[in-house]
Amino acid sequence: MEPLDETPQSDELYQQARRQEWRHALDTTSDRRAAGIPTDPTAIAAVPPAAPVTVAPAVPVLPIASQVPVSSVRRAHIADANDLALATRGLRVAFSGNEILHGVDINAPRGGVVALVGPSGCGKTTLLRSLNRLTELAPTAQIKGQVLLDGNDVYGAKVDLNLLRRRVGMVFQQPNPFPMSIFDNVAFAIREQARKRPTRGSLMPAVEQALQRAGLWDEIKDNLDRSALSLSGGQQQRLCIARTLAADPEVLLMDEPCSALDPRSTARIEELIVQLAGSLTVVIVTHNLAQARRIADYAAFLLNGDVIEQGFAEQVFETPTQQQTADFVAGIFG
Amino acid sequence: MPTRISDRAGYYGAWASGLFLTGVVFAIVAWLLVNGLRNVDWTFLTTNPAPGSVEIGVAGGIVAPLLGTLIITAMGTLIALPLGLATAVFLGEYGKPRLLKQLTDTSIDLIFGVPSIVFALFGLAIFSNPSLIFLSEEVQTSGKATAKSFFCASIMMALIALPPIVRSTQAAIASVPNVQREAAYALGKTRFAMIRKVVLPSIRPGIATGTILGMGRIAGDTAIVWILLGGAVLEPPVAGWWEPQNLLGFLHGTGATLTTYVYFASPAGEGNAEGKAYGAALVLFALVFIVNIVLGRAGQRRIGRQ
Repeated sequence: MEPLDETPQSDELYQQARRQEWRHALDTTSDRRAAGIPTDPTAIAAVPPAAPVTVAPAVPVLPIASQVPVSSVRRAHIADANDLALATRGLRVAFSGNEILHGVDINAPRGGVVALVGPSGCGKTTLLRSLNRLTELAPTAQIKGQVLLDGNDVYGAKVDLNLLRRRVGMVFQQPNPFPMSIFDNVAFAIREQARKRPTRGSLMPAVEQALQRAGLWDEIKDNLDRSALSLSGGQQQRLCIARTLAADPEVLLMDEPCSALDPRSTARIEELIVQLAGSLTVVIVTHNLAQARRIADYAAFLLNGDVIEQGFAEQVFETPTQQQTADFVAGIFG
Repeated sequence: MPTRISDRAGYYGAWASGLFLTGVVFAIVAWLLVNGLRNVDWTFLTTNPAPGSVEIGVAGGIVAPLLGTLIITAMGTLIALPLGLATAVFLGEYGKPRLLKQLTDTSIDLIFGVPSIVFALFGLAIFSNPSLIFLSEEVQTSGKATAKSFFCASIMMALIALPPIVRSTQAAIASVPNVQREAAYALGKTRFAMIRKVVLPSIRPGIATGTILGMGRIAGDTAIVWILLGGAVLEPPVAGWWEPQNLLGFLHGTGATLTTYVYFASPAGEGNAEGKAYGAALVLFALVFIVNIVLGRAGQRRIGRQ
């Protein structure tokens, strides 16, 4: 039912540790390592020092990702934590009668970055896709409860689905630019389905602004007519963000936007998310606890379709009140 | 290198099949070239078939049949392409109601499997109806329609060109990643906008392949030409048929194509000019080959500025 979540997607830290194991096994010049020279400088620069993957002890120890400091200054961009841009109330989602979400209440304060974390199959992606009503593309999906955008239920009878999806934009796990030029990819979002086709000149300011916001303009401004598929993975993902921003959304949903990217591109996107926060609300699904720590103001921990704990990110990650959350952030399961 | 006997037998068997097929095709092409090239020259391409000749070796040129093939192929494709595209989009993107999808699927397979002469016969029955006289000409004695014209033949040709167009487009639609559809929906696009701007542009190669196959079926068909176009090898079109005042009359009248000319000129037909048959067959082969290359290129054109 949830193909994106079904694939065993390991934590980036874990993957990096695995990579280093491999390197160790294959490396013939292990004297480099003995001399303390990093074997992969880019990976180490972008990702916090990898903790060795060992059998986790039964008692929660210091969380791996706690080595990364949480910036509390950043929360200045949230005017009022009680002003919710998006919230769910008793959201239940089932596919073919098999319930994935069992009545979920999530709060996304306006201008904040909300991270949804949890193990594979816990319903994070389903929750995210229910926020802009993509879930219902699956014919077997049944959705109950409320998703409140500015206090109005998006599942209400009078909701214009196409307008809703412009107000609540989405960036996917895999970069998925359309097979068109870079310009057309962004312009596609703002071209109304009018009979009269807007000229390139009239679309250009909006396209430029969206690409600027996504931090891509300087790299591609001379190649707007190139195929979007010729860009690198990280550029493609920023193009997808630009495309979404072009519709001027209030909320940006991101479904593990960095899981297909290398560490350097990941860092670019994270930087971008922090920049965008404040001007819009970001809800991000991530498998990477270190990433959640770096960028999130708020976090919600999901397990088997229930919200176990939510609140300020550092509170959820540093001083969780629930044992399951503590175990998860300690890396005991996941 | 495979070591087990059965493994090796499988490997060489597959290898030999490929070699055999290549050999057969090359032999046919070589045979066609050797026998055909001798007869293909400028006069052959620019003169009409010799009228009423029963002398051996006198069958004239192929300008009228060549024209017939080009016109029939163009008209048939023009009808089949939009219909085939729409059908493929229905099957691949909508698929509802389910019963209609299943029936359409079965119909496409049926059209693929049924020999064209069956459709030609059916066409003859339909198009000779007096109410369809506008597609051909009136038979003075009975008041019925002749059911033999470029219009009648093209419509039936479109039918036999449909299956490859639909199937090839449908396969291309199925290969469009779902994430791209979702991306379009996530931008607040309607289903139709999604199909038009996301699906259709990326399935161009599939459409081109289907069109090539469909054109090949039309250009190669003989039965429909014989029954619904008349196979009138010996009645070349009047001079100036392309002029506006003559064109409609020409398209309402009978004609011939390269396939019917090949039959006519072969020892089995009246012209009894084997060499001319080879010449015409070679031209037909070259024509299909060129269309194949040109359309294949067009389908793979780089995606970029629209």
